[in-house]
This record gives sequence, structure tokens and C-alpha cells, in this order.
Amino acid sequence: MTVPTCDTRSGCITCVDEGIPMRVVEARRDIAVCIDDHGARHEVAIELVDMVSAGTRLLVHAGVAIASLEAPTQEMADGSGER
Amino acid sequence: MRFVDEFRDAQLGRAVGGEILSTLEPGRHYKVMEVCGGHTHSIYKYGIDDLLPENVELVHGPGCPVCVIPMGRVDDGIAVALNDGVIFTCFGDMLRVPGSEQTLLDAKAQGADVRMVYSPLDALRIARTNPEREVVFFAIGFETTAPSTALTLKRAKAEGVRNFSCVCNHVTIVPPLRALLESPDLRLDGFIGPGHVCTVVGARPFEFIPADYQRPVVISGFEPLDILQSIHMILRQLKEGRREVENQYTRVVPREGNLRALQVLAEVFELRPHFEWRGLGFISQSALKLSDAYRDFDAEERFAVPGVRVADPKACQCGEVLKGVIKPWECKVFGTACTPEHAIGTCMVSPEGACAAYYNYGRYARDKEAV
Repeated sequence: MTVPTCDTRSGCITCVDEGIPMRVVEARRDIAVCIDDHGARHEVAIELVDMVSAGTRLLVHAGVAIASLEAPTQEMADGSGER
Repeated sequence: MRFVDEFRDAQLGRAVGGEILSTLEPGRHYKVMEVCGGHTHSIYKYGIDDLLPENVELVHGPGCPVCVIPMGRVDDGIAVALNDGVIFTCFGDMLRVPGSEQTLLDAKAQGADVRMVYSPLDALRIARTNPEREVVFFAIGFETTAPSTALTLKRAKAEGVRNFSCVCNHVTIVPPLRALLESPDLRLDGFIGPGHVCTVVGARPFEFIPADYQRPVVISGFEPLDILQSIHMILRQLKEGRREVENQYTRVVPREGNLRALQVLAEVFELRPHFEWRGLGFISQSALKLSDAYRDFDAEERFAVPGVRVADPKACQCGEVLKGVIKPWECKVFGTACTPEHAIGTCMVSPEGACAAYYNYGRYARDKEAV
């Protein structure tokens, strides 16, 4: 039986208990448009965290925010606080 | 990058390594288990093991949900995937896990419509856009991942998406830890707690470890300095005679966890009476199934599944590796019959499995400086 090596970049989510920090660009009712530290945009479900608004940093696992990392500041909201 | 660079500082890492050295009692051998596969991955990726003195040994725990899926459950998933008209979805790491005869990737090669998704919400999206097809999500993962499945099922129910269902293999981390602690052939001095599981469940579920088994637990982040600091905190507890749950990952983990996520889990899931863990056997109340309110979304009710228990290959010693009784390189088939390209056991299939981590990063040098 041939089993190729699993590529973490293509989808190993559960076994690393992946948690990706992302910054909210726009928050709607259940969904937020977020940007990760590499600049990629994602749609993230936000029902499980409180008070999400532009600038909030979230910890995202499998497309769902499971924690807020900190309260947003003006710097973060306009993006100037991020590298 | 914020929250990343500051936790990968090599100079600080060496300083914490020095702190660890000064905390050790000469002549004592320490065994610390990292529960989570993500920690195993970081340890070998960043060479954290090499910064530790010989008498601090890291033992790899059962926290890789791919590694603990028994072959019979993979067979059940493949049986569902082979039904006409089914779109079978799963995370990428599941595709290559061997069942008794084949993998989901093999089933796809035979014509089954097996698709990798990044989130169960993506599977639900596929169901919405393919109303004439049955869409099944093969759910795996610990308490970190279970809320995403629960949220997806809540949305499916609210929207009346009838062609969506789920094969639920979600597992919980506390019962296998208790089983490990009851194991007579195991000697551990402390635990590096699973940071992202604790983001959901909080620190409280781990309090039985110091209370009942007198071992320290430190909930840890996943960057190199997080792990080194957590090891230092465990060793400091041991030196000071304390046994408690400490939280190193305070920037993410609240002590009470995520109450909303816990509410959603309680609504959508209930505990299975028992569940088989690869290498560990059947463990009571260690996995989740859909609650009565969500039974209509249970793929095991909707499709015929074999439900047959399949014994692990005899040569495979994943069980001993998962219990930390042997190191991966001590397995009879490690690196010979069992490699990432030709895996026999699940610990070699998943890159976060202890065997693959050892194999891929070459971290099986066994000579280190004694204290």
C-alpha cells in the first residue's frame, strides 16, 4: 500500500490543533472577513466569540473563531499596528 | 509577525534552556508528556528536544486525532464514500489514513467522489450547491475541532439542509489521559497541556491530574519559547513540591474556556458510552456522537456502515508509541517497513504523529549531554 506523505500546508488541521491568528477586516452577523499574517483573506464564522469588530484579532480553527486574542485598538483597526 | 517572532527568539530560548538546567535535581530522570500532536510537531520542527539535557525526556502523547482513529472507522467512512451519489468530504489529513484494505484516497481513485475540505462549513456549502447529492462530512478531532462541526450542524438544521450528514469521530482528551495515568507500565512526571483544546474547555478538566495523580500540568502555547517555558514551569513545580494546573498560554486560554463553544457542543453532541482508540483500546465516554436533536444528520443512521472492529497490524507498535512506552525508533518496523511513503501505522501517516515527526525531522540522535 502506498501512502504519500501528508502535506501540512494542504490541510492538516486537526492533528496540529491548528490555531491561526487573524485580524478582522469586516464583521457581519455570523461571518467576518479576516486577514491572516501572510495577507490571505478568509471568511470566518464568529458565532462562538463575543464583540467582534474590525481590528479584533481572532484565533481561527477550521474556519471558526474559537477565541479573541485581545481587544481592538485604533492602530489595529486601521492596520497600522500590524506588520 | 506579532505573537510569533517574539516566541521564536533563539537567544531567549537558550536562556530558558539554562533556567531548565538550574531547576534540575542532579541524578534524577524526568519524563514529561506533551499531550498534543501540535506540540510534538513544534518540538521536532524547532529542535527543542536538542536544547534539553539528557535527563529531561519528552514523551509523545495521544493528542493526534488522526493517529488514534482505528481502521474500522476508516472502513466505515470508505463504505459511505462508495455509495452512489455521495460527495464525501474530510480534512486532508484523513485522506491517507489506511483502513483494513484501502485509504479514502484509494477510494477516490476508484471513482468515489471524495473531496478535501478545510472546514466543515465548506462541506455544508457543497451540500447547498448540490441539493441532488448526499454530502457527508467525516468529522475528526478533539474539543478544538468539535465546535466547528457543531456550528455547521446547527446551521444545517436552521437552514433545513436535508442532504447533509456527518460521520462523527470526535474524541475528548481527558478520558485517554486518565487511562494512560492508570496504565501500570507508564511513569510520567508531568504534562504539557494542549493549548487549543483548553481554549475551548478551559483549565478545569485537567485539575484531576494534580488532584488524583499528583502530577503537574502546564497548559502551553505552540511556539518554541512557549514549550520551553512550559517545561521549565513543570520542573519548577516538581522542585518546589507543588502539583497544580498552570497556564503558560494566558494570551489565548481563559481559565473557564469558551462558554459559547461549550454550550454548542452540549446541544449538538452527547458522549458515546465507549469508543475505540487505536493502540489504546476501548475507552469509556471518550468520544462524541450526535444528540437526539441532531440524529437526522447522523450519516451512520442514513447509510449502512460495516461497523466492524479491525485489529491493528501485528508489526505495528503505535499503541506503545502513543502510550509513551517506547520511542518511535524503538518500533520493530520504524524506518524500514514503515515509512511516510509506505506507512503501516497511523503515527507514521500523519506528519504530527510521533513516528513521522521523528522520521521527517531526523530527531532520533540519542546521545546528549548528561547533567
